[in-house]
Amino acid sequence: MTAFLKIDAVTKSYGAGPAVRSALRDVSIDIQRSELVAILGPSGCGKSTFLQIVAGLIPPTSGQVMLDGKQVSAPPRDMVYLFQQYTKSLFPWRTVLQNVAFPMEMQRTASQRLVRARCLEYLAMVGLGGCEDQYPWQLSGGMQQRVAIARALAAEPRVLLMDEPFSAVDALTRLELQSLVLDIWARQRLTVLLVTHDVDEAVFMADRVAMLSARPSVVASITDIDLPRPRDTMGTRESARFLSLRHGLLDTLLHPTAHVVGNV
Amino acid sequence: MYRAATRLLPGLASFVVVLVIWELAGRYRYVNPVLLPPPSVIGSTLWEIVRSGALLEPLGQTFLLLFVGYALACLFGIALGLVMGRSEVIYGLLEPLIELLRPIPKAALVPPLFLFLGFGATMKITIVALAAFFPILIATIQGVRGVDRVAIDTARTFGCTGLALNLRIILPASLPMIATGMRVGLGLGLILVVLAEMLAGDGGVGYLILDMQRSFAVRQMYAWIVILAAAGLAINAIFVFVEARAIPWRAK
Repeated sequence: MTAFLKIDAVTKSYGAGPAVRSALRDVSIDIQRSELVAILGPSGCGKSTFLQIVAGLIPPTSGQVMLDGKQVSAPPRDMVYLFQQYTKSLFPWRTVLQNVAFPMEMQRTASQRLVRARCLEYLAMVGLGGCEDQYPWQLSGGMQQRVAIARALAAEPRVLLMDEPFSAVDALTRLELQSLVLDIWARQRLTVLLVTHDVDEAVFMADRVAMLSARPSVVASITDIDLPRPRDTMGTRESARFLSLRHGLLDTLLHPTAHVVGNV
Repeated sequence: MYRAATRLLPGLASFVVVLVIWELAGRYRYVNPVLLPPPSVIGSTLWEIVRSGALLEPLGQTFLLLFVGYALACLFGIALGLVMGRSEVIYGLLEPLIELLRPIPKAALVPPLFLFLGFGATMKITIVALAAFFPILIATIQGVRGVDRVAIDTARTFGCTGLALNLRIILPASLPMIATGMRVGLGLGLILVVLAEMLAGDGGVGYLILDMQRSFAVRQMYAWIVILAAAGLAINAIFVFVEARAIPWRAK
């Protein structure tokens, strides 16, 4: 069976001639339907660039991304990108409800009454019932990222790409949002690609963790996370298996040269 | 209420002090009251103008010309600014031309415009539009170019591209900058409409002020200047009011 989301030998370099700088080199990852894969790597390793290529926002220098057998060259309709910078990603001239309705307006599939009902449903799902008429800049950071999540869900995507989605919120909110996304992921059977530099987050959330090396980034390792689901905010993190997986990944991050195995 | 009062009070006090000094200077002949009548005299003349209804026609004429010219400037300035801000090719094509025309003081263009458009409304609307156009254009270009990459990419991932992207994302996102340009443009438009009226001699508040001075109706001249100042203040207040409601996220 071919992978649902196939990232095939993606290379990205900037500049030309002797000044050429490579960000990514031959990155290949196969992601199955409804799988949650985390991309882990040191900061500045080109994780965001990688995710933007997967999203079709920037073209790769070589290699390709295939979603359900079709090559991605522009942002596909059923793939949604959740940005780290929620303050810039939400539209300040729109209310919370209007932000969440934006993807449906673009798809022009539903009547206005239906759009409203569905938006309220997604807002309730992320715990923002009653906030629909406020503006994003009237909400706290964690609530804003919840709005962004609700908006992503409103697009009814099959693939959710998350670019360090919780790194700009406080530690407690981060734990809440991680569990929230896991809940939604399980309920909607989404395929999720999560970029993060947080080892705990990767292990807690993912089915598999792909480790990128420093620039030019190659896939250094892929680790199966065989923790049982549903995962518990505290219980899972305190389990021996969690700690040993976390230890292994941290070790690879901190002592990269000993572990590089090339592409997987 | 109390806070608003304490904020406004010092400014109001200095205003009153200036009025009192002006009044006394006229009464005790420190300045020639024929050339600069005291505020009480100007005030009563002003009241006569307001009460007789003579206010409406010239004021209406001046501000109608201002608004038509200003609306045209907004329309063309924002539209061209959007196109130039979004297209490198068109920007490269037009930018040198605009940089050449922009620094010309628009007042200098009134005499040549007389030649082509005469002394009527068309000329005045044109000069107002020209004066207000450039600041609006430049601000729009800057606003469009400054729209955050993340906002654009967000829209793109939801399938919002092309014209929809420009109208639904780029335009509202640049609105704070555009409003700044529109405010500068409104001020310039008011200056130019008054100047054009003075030079054209075809009615309006600008013409009246000059005409009163020539016929030595000094009190009336000052009264009309006060009317103009008050009207300018009023449209600025309206602008600020509308701006705060149209761009509530600006303060954030």
